[in-house]
Amino acid sequence: MDQSKPRANSTRDADRRIIIRTVNLRKHYVMKGIVTEALRGVSVEIGAGEMIVAMGPSGSGKSTFFNMVGGLDRPTSGRVFIDEVDVAQLTATELAFLRCRKIGYVFQSYNLITCMTALENVTTPMIFAGVGPDEARERGMSLLELVGLKDRWFHRPIEMSGGQQQRVAIARALANQPAILLCDEPTANLDHKTGMEILTILQRLNKERAVTIICATHDHRMMDMCDRLLWVRDGKIERVARRDEVHVSIGSIDGK
Amino acid sequence: MRTVSIREQPTLSFGQTVRLTLNGIHYRLFRAAVTVVVVGVATAFLTNTLSETVIRRSVARKTRDRMEEMRRGALWAARLSSSPALEEILAAVAHAGPDDPICRETARMGALTQDEMPLFRSGARKAAAYLSFFSGLDYARLRVLVKTSRGVAIFDRFEDEAEMARFEASLRSLRAVRFVTSLEEFRAFLRDWPGIQARARRVQEGYGAAIAKIQTSLAGRAILHALTDAGGEFGEAVREAGLILDQKTAGQVADQAGRLLQKQFLEQSIATADLRKEVGSRLGILPKEVTVDRLWRLLRSEEAASWYLEKLKKAENREGLTPLPPASHPLDAGRVVRLARLEEEEKALMRAERVQAADAGGILGLGERMSWLLFVSMLVCGVGITNAMLMSVTERFREIATLKCLGALDGFIMLMFVLEACLLGAVGGGVGACIGILIGAGRMLAAFGGLVLRAIPLGDLLVSGAIAVALGVILAAAASVYPSLKASALAPMEAMRIE
Repeated sequence: MDQSKPRANSTRDADRRIIIRTVNLRKHYVMKGIVTEALRGVSVEIGAGEMIVAMGPSGSGKSTFFNMVGGLDRPTSGRVFIDEVDVAQLTATELAFLRCRKIGYVFQSYNLITCMTALENVTTPMIFAGVGPDEARERGMSLLELVGLKDRWFHRPIEMSGGQQQRVAIARALANQPAILLCDEPTANLDHKTGMEILTILQRLNKERAVTIICATHDHRMMDMCDRLLWVRDGKIERVARRDEVHVSIGSIDGK
Repeated sequence: MRTVSIREQPTLSFGQTVRLTLNGIHYRLFRAAVTVVVVGVATAFLTNTLSETVIRRSVARKTRDRMEEMRRGALWAARLSSSPALEEILAAVAHAGPDDPICRETARMGALTQDEMPLFRSGARKAAAYLSFFSGLDYARLRVLVKTSRGVAIFDRFEDEAEMARFEASLRSLRAVRFVTSLEEFRAFLRDWPGIQARARRVQEGYGAAIAKIQTSLAGRAILHALTDAGGEFGEAVREAGLILDQKTAGQVADQAGRLLQKQFLEQSIATADLRKEVGSRLGILPKEVTVDRLWRLLRSEEAASWYLEKLKKAENREGLTPLPPASHPLDAGRVVRLARLEEEEKALMRAERVQAADAGGILGLGERMSWLLFVSMLVCGVGITNAMLMSVTERFREIATLKCLGALDGFIMLMFVLEACLLGAVGGGVGACIGILIGAGRMLAAFGGLVLRAIPLGDLLVSGAIAVALGVILAAAASVYPSLKASALAPMEAMRIE
């Protein structure tokens, strides 16, 4: 059983630019007259280049929070500022631009387009961004190389394993060099080794390219790598803690 | 790390959208094939009907002239036998242009002056319109409106005011019947009717006198016999009596009269018991089963024709059948075969004419019932396509939501689905059109026989095909609007379902 050493902060918190800011987010759904409150006033500030892990039981409002932060849904009250731009003020086309260029999404179920090859999957966001086909292909290949799938560019998702699909999904999320990466349980469906590969990639991205990564996960290894942890419960942030304030123990099976 | 200021997301070029759509279709080929088949069936039905109508019309056009030619002998025989009825006189003048020979003839017969003629013509046109209205009604309605009067007698019965009032009342009670003009105009016409009728009677009497003159020059021959000389003396006599007969028509009349005589001769010959027995034994049937039809079918071969002529000669010598006048085509085996072929042609033409009668009303002259059937079939296909596309959207909700997360605009999603439907509609329409036209042409071939080959209207068929393909595309596009709207309204958060 390893005791993780407290890490020194690579960048002072105060020096970071705030990239995502939510102010008193509230969201409720009305279904057949019954009002369900998913978020009851969430206020967070996420700095650029941070890696945030959000945790919480199902039904805690974690996914709703992610939808808000990722520009996928609008709150009933409160505001979300992405790079100091109020998301609620954006038109549909501007929102599409935001999702295309600024935010990359990695889903738990990979969500690759089954009728396209890996390369086509990766270049689709580039096409939406208006990149020319040749440049798109070049960048797509280099991204696939980054995740280690250069030889499988012509394979369809159905011909790849879970880990490979997730890697393609990460490459796709990085297609337009986004500032924010939103990951939903990226390693949940993967085995130990593949999961480790994914996490290595994510960590590299965070350290080398200063991509803000926000993950919802139960993976202890990711908790080990992150800068801050959020606990979400009953539509509120129950607790926020920096990594060095928290004790994370990771077990291993191979007896070392 | 650079910051990107928010702009509007650019719309994708059309080519890109098409490529992405084709990708999707390629992957879901089976589902796409179902849509194609649905559209194809509807289009095939439509093109089938359209092409049949088009071919029918073309055949009609080609056969009308030929039919007129073949009937000329009989027509003239009838004309020269008795003076025309008032209805015929009115109809002939009503449908002719001012320079038509029939107008000159009518004027001559009725001794109508230059001024009288135009008046008579306009009156005749109105009368003909009313007459065709009445003759177009079914028996029950006719009985209600005018009891047992028919033809011009209808106009006479309205001299009585009470009758007119009764007529108006019955017309109002028959709601489905719309009178040709307003009742005011009808009354005005009825006031003019005595004058028109008087002139028409004059024409009729004129014809009567002319025919009486012609009868004297018959010199004991039957009319048909005399008509074989229409190119010569008899034709002259006809012209002297006042009727208009140009040289070309005279030639045709003479030919057809000769043909009719020979045909009658052959057909009457089969009444002889001996010949019936001979033909019966040759065909292997009982003598009483030997009909005129069977005879003509037998006479199509040269060998059978010469055989029959021999038997005929033997019977002639014995029984003494009415001899034929000398004709331009003597009755040998070759001529008999030709007569049999002409007989076959005439039957085909008559069949064609009967088939024409079924066309009336509806869209593009297709007939009311057919238009209704087409409309229903299109509706059903549209609903089927909408259903299939809705299923497709439901299946692909995650994919659509993911695309939106990647930056697809709502309009793009909608365009993708509509394009997919249009492409499938076009393919289905094209295939359906080809099948429909082939089936239509095949059926017409079966109905009309060889006549069709002379009269295939390629231009019109291509236009029908194009219409059908366009309709296929429009149908598919319209059917896909609702599913596409649903797809484009899908929230991108559907892609992210965190448990």
